[in-house]
Amino acid sequence: MIIHHPILGPRDAQEFVYLGDASLIDRPDGMTAGVDAFHDYLYNRTNPAGEHQELWYHEQGDRSWLVVTRNTVTHEITKVELARDVARARGRTK
Amino acid sequence: MTQSHRIEGGQIDRSKTLRFTFDGIPYQGHPGDTLASALLANGVRLMGRSFKYHRPRGPLSAGSEEPNALVELRSGGRQEPNTRATVAELYEGLTASSQNRWPSLRFDAMGINDKLSTFFAAGFYYKTFMWPKSFWEKLYEPIIRRAAGLGSVTREEDPDAYDKGFLHCDLLVIGAGPAGLMAALTAGQAGKRVILADEDFRMGGRLNAETFAVGDSQGADWATATVAELASLPNVRLMTRTTVVGAFDHGIYSAVERVSDHLPTPAKGKPRQVLWRIYTGKAILAGGATERPIAFENNDRPGIMLSGALRAYANRWGVKAGERVAVFTNNDDGLRTAIDLQAKGIDVVAVIDSRDGGDLLPGIRHLRGADVIDTSGKLGLTSITVRQGNGRSETIALNALGISGGWNPNVNIHSHHRSRPVYDPTIAAFVPGQDGPPGLLVAGAAAGQMSTHAALKTGRDAAIAAFDLTTVPDLPQAEDAPVKITPLWHVAHGKGRAWIDQQNDVTVKDVQLAKQENFTSVEHLKRYTTLGMATDQGKTGNVIGLAVMAELTGRSIPETGTTIYRPPYTPVALGPITGPGNRARPLSRSATGSAPNGFRNRAKPNGGSPSTVRFLPQESPSASATSRPSARSTSKAPTRALSLTGSTPTPSPRFPSANAATA
Repeated sequence: MIIHHPILGPRDAQEFVYLGDASLIDRPDGMTAGVDAFHDYLYNRTNPAGEHQELWYHEQGDRSWLVVTRNTVTHEITKVELARDVARARGRTK
Repeated sequence: MTQSHRIEGGQIDRSKTLRFTFDGIPYQGHPGDTLASALLANGVRLMGRSFKYHRPRGPLSAGSEEPNALVELRSGGRQEPNTRATVAELYEGLTASSQNRWPSLRFDAMGINDKLSTFFAAGFYYKTFMWPKSFWEKLYEPIIRRAAGLGSVTREEDPDAYDKGFLHCDLLVIGAGPAGLMAALTAGQAGKRVILADEDFRMGGRLNAETFAVGDSQGADWATATVAELASLPNVRLMTRTTVVGAFDHGIYSAVERVSDHLPTPAKGKPRQVLWRIYTGKAILAGGATERPIAFENNDRPGIMLSGALRAYANRWGVKAGERVAVFTNNDDGLRTAIDLQAKGIDVVAVIDSRDGGDLLPGIRHLRGADVIDTSGKLGLTSITVRQGNGRSETIALNALGISGGWNPNVNIHSHHRSRPVYDPTIAAFVPGQDGPPGLLVAGAAAGQMSTHAALKTGRDAAIAAFDLTTVPDLPQAEDAPVKITPLWHVAHGKGRAWIDQQNDVTVKDVQLAKQENFTSVEHLKRYTTLGMATDQGKTGNVIGLAVMAELTGRSIPETGTTIYRPPYTPVALGPITGPGNRARPLSRSATGSAPNGFRNRAKPNGGSPSTVRFLPQESPSASATSRPSARSTSKAPTRALSLTGSTPTPSPRFPSANAATA
């Protein structure tokens, strides 16, 4: 597989480490969310046959985290973003 | 020994003679020969024994689809089993031996299986070795394991190196026949970075085996000239002896280059084989087509081969498979073989054409509406029995028979992303379907375009389509004969066995048995009979098998469908997959091994406190003795943990481990 890194261009998937569902970005607020919300965050993932947003870590590259939108059936990658940008857009970080 | 079956012509270098041995007997061949062509040139037809029945077998094909002529090459650490003699390039001093026979190829004790074949039908093991249950592991399995398998593996270390490599290109062209050469030329002249890969050691594909003209010259000469033109382009890389074995995600292909398999030993600093990972912008599959036989009784004797192979041996290698030859065909391509062989001065005793009516070939005994119903000759074909259109049968003495049941496009690589081939009744074969690997175009015979003209044109068009090119080379003139075929899959006659998949010894009877036991889906048929599950992936047999099943179940061939293919296209040795690190043994370090001690020795001069080494294993005998009880106690630990959780209030199912830890 080839991942089109938003900064570095097309890179072989071998350079990356796969982390999984990009919903990991949306960690509930520990002060307000209940145990159920944290449990869902920690253990529950959707497992779609189709488009899936997932986190990839460019370990053998610039060590950035990416959010890759990949079709799990065809492996087609339709979108690659820096996880930082995604998190900011969701109001996660500064 | 002289080369008794060598005839004039062919693309071999007669100025040099190569000596080689097969089963210890010395023979001679020429550069440009394969092991199979050289053996045939020496009058050797018997090259192997079949997998299950140990039937004597010779080569069926002249290419990588070969199911029968599997041999062991070389000796010592370089010994390689299950190599197809039809693609093994001849070199000075090659030693080859037959396999799956004992004590000799001509007399094989396991040939008894053939006499007992009634018992060895599909599903034999499953049905027979069921009781008593305890016998399986101790008795049945060891015996079956000993009888199974083909070649033997060397016990010595492989002295050669293997490597992996990475290549990038705008266009990968798979196969260097007319379609591939034209595609590479079109894209290459447009300045694209092109890789042209072909499994053969000589580019040109089928053009090397035909007498057609392309443009003003012979097809083979046109191919040579085109290859020379491509070689002069700096943006084109030509890779012979390179099989593209798989299509992977996002335009990545894998290919195995046999760098040194045609040499006695690899040149200094060169690996034997390289596994390439090729990153492509676009790819064109121009892998050609594979001929399929027709199933009839005893259609597996040495001397019976595909009609196109018979022609290839005569035209490309200057070899006659026999003095008296016949052709059994259901399509016009078989007639070409008869014409070519007769032009070479080989005695074509008959053309048995299963189609009724139509024109007769001049100067050749051309029987219309006739079938071959049986053959004889234990270690090699001596005669065939023909059932003529009027119902009379006749025995014809001969020593080679070409069969043409039509050509199957090599759709394999297009199927690697699970695209299902679709049936095209005009050529009676499966062609690439929808949803192939993105960026992969198909051209030439692989796309069902069987004439040379169509191959050249679709090759060029594929390159144009890939890059929206405007300036393109002219197409040379070439034959554009339509495919004229009336499907005939198997000859229904008699009670004997008619082979479909020769490598796995699957016969028409086995398909009938599968139908009888309701394994009628192609996927069940494949698994129940092992049809197409040998190392050739059923390149010659699959379509016949499913067509016979379609006939038996009264369904059409599209309704029956086909199985698909997976990588690799042809078998790949483990060496190139392991890559350059093949001699690096994995370091197994036990707890008392050297690494922790080394660490401790380093730690000590630094004044490491006893607490830093406390967790490191001890190496004195007394210490290791004391460590044993602790090991036992850790093995008890889970039990203790279980009893702990049992004694605590029922933990929340959500955080069981957290509760256990706090308990």
